[in-house]
Amino acid sequence: MANRFKLPNLGIGLGLRTKHYGVILEQKPAVAWFEILSENYLRTEGRPLDFLDQIADIYPVVMHGVSLSIGSTDPLDRVYLSELKALRDRAKARWVSDHLCWTGVAGKNTHDLLPMPYTEEALAHVVDRVRAVQDFLGAPLALENPSSYAEFAGDSMREWEFLGRLAELSDCALLLDVNNVYVSSKNHGFDPLTYLDAIPFDRVVQFHVAGHTDHGTHIIDSHIGPVIDPVWQLLAAAHRRSAGVPVLLEWDAEIPSFEETHAEALRAREFIGAAA
Amino acid sequence: MSREATADALGLHERASATPERAAPFQQAALGDAPAWTEVKLGLRAQQEWFAAIVSTAQDEPAPVDQLSAARLITASATLSSLERIDIYRRGYHARLIECLLDDYPVLAHALGEEAFEALCRRYIARHPSSGPSLNYFGRHMADFCRAQPLPEPGFAADLATLEWAIVLSIHAPTAATIGFEDLGQVPSERWPGARLSVNPSLKILRLGYPVNAYLQAYRQGKPTALPAARPTSVAVYRTGRSVWRLELEPTLVTLVEALANGATLEAGLAEVQASLAGVPEHELAQKISHCFQHSVSSGLFSSISV
Repeated sequence: MANRFKLPNLGIGLGLRTKHYGVILEQKPAVAWFEILSENYLRTEGRPLDFLDQIADIYPVVMHGVSLSIGSTDPLDRVYLSELKALRDRAKARWVSDHLCWTGVAGKNTHDLLPMPYTEEALAHVVDRVRAVQDFLGAPLALENPSSYAEFAGDSMREWEFLGRLAELSDCALLLDVNNVYVSSKNHGFDPLTYLDAIPFDRVVQFHVAGHTDHGTHIIDSHIGPVIDPVWQLLAAAHRRSAGVPVLLEWDAEIPSFEETHAEALRAREFIGAAA
Repeated sequence: MSREATADALGLHERASATPERAAPFQQAALGDAPAWTEVKLGLRAQQEWFAAIVSTAQDEPAPVDQLSAARLITASATLSSLERIDIYRRGYHARLIECLLDDYPVLAHALGEEAFEALCRRYIARHPSSGPSLNYFGRHMADFCRAQPLPEPGFAADLATLEWAIVLSIHAPTAATIGFEDLGQVPSERWPGARLSVNPSLKILRLGYPVNAYLQAYRQGKPTALPAARPTSVAVYRTGRSVWRLELEPTLVTLVEALANGATLEAGLAEVQASLAGVPEHELAQKISHCFQHSVSSGLFSSISV
């Protein structure tokens, strides 16, 4: 068993994107699993769900969200949580993930993954909320380390310590995005291996890889283009620390053909072994 | 009357956890003149309110914080100042929402031009910030918003936005089977007068002041587009299966479909059509009514029949 939550190692998967719906449904290519963006299938009764129903009948699906806003000081959105739970049941999603971030406050939603201050106050706040969400879902929540472009002056710990303590205290799962580790390491000047060394890998249920854009002064987590070699190497380093974790490629801008996208995802085999 | 498929993407509103690339191009952030923070330590709530206030400030306005105050809460990196780092989020916020509106309103964007559309979006974002977890309905105010904006032809822009928003709504409306003549044939003829047809749940009938459907169609076909003169038109927008359709409606068809949508029996609906055709010669009347009814059924406007 790959992790303490007994969630399966699904192998190498792809982020489901509308551009690829046609190929997927017509050709039913051999893809181990798909990750859906939860919000693309919420607050709709129509065509997005029609596609999802067909795809979920064929492939294992995992849900990845961007609106949980687990770090916000606004109350948890119970309506959203109910919708998330219903979608999980409808798609028979293996697990639900979101990001260690907040997306808005005072009733407004920026729809961006805003950075958390890494303080004891914030840690206690997020631990309580993760527990509440897990109680509601009746299942572990997987939280992803976000890419970030700013750090708070009042931080009392680094992100990896915050994430590790959060996971232990709330008993949540982790989605480790090694591209985000790389991006943040460049933006904030730390050694990405130091980050990996602090991660409780028995809680990691999924890896993300993606492309990004280097602007010299900073890196943007754009999910454009192929994965660069240092990120693949970081995946290999993370894989060595794990007992086998599913890998997912995110490609969200200038998305190429399904074949090219899938081929890029399958490059993960070069770094984690053919067993995946 | 021609029924035209709306060649939109297979799915709208695709969201991602990526940061929009447009967050990156860098300009020196202007300094704001809001009160400086003097406290070194703020609680989590205060930090989030502060950060969100800066992020949601329009890009053509100074960030509501000065460099010194920003540095008290956000550290500088080796290459970027505190304010520059926050500004990545500010740019990302606006870029993401503009992308969303462009997703909903590609033809309006074409009609206005990139610069004017982005300016419109920035004003829209300031006036109608998102308050929910989904962006599916973020653009719902655009038509009304356009009417009050300093645009070259706000009525045209509003009508075009109305049409594009109806396409979005049809995508998110429940999927329903549609009936054809073979289904109608199951109904004994003596029960026809009292039969009721329920309309396709995705159907919107738009009454527009400009021929924006023709404009949209020309854009989709890559033909030249020009601001049309005002001319009232009615357009049905609806979905059958995966396809979204736009159907320009003659007045008789509008009368029939609206009557049936409001619960009229077939007999009553056709009587309304007949009344609307006052003055039409007797020998043409039956043909027009028959054509009107057949066209509405064959176009997929109805989802069920009950007797």
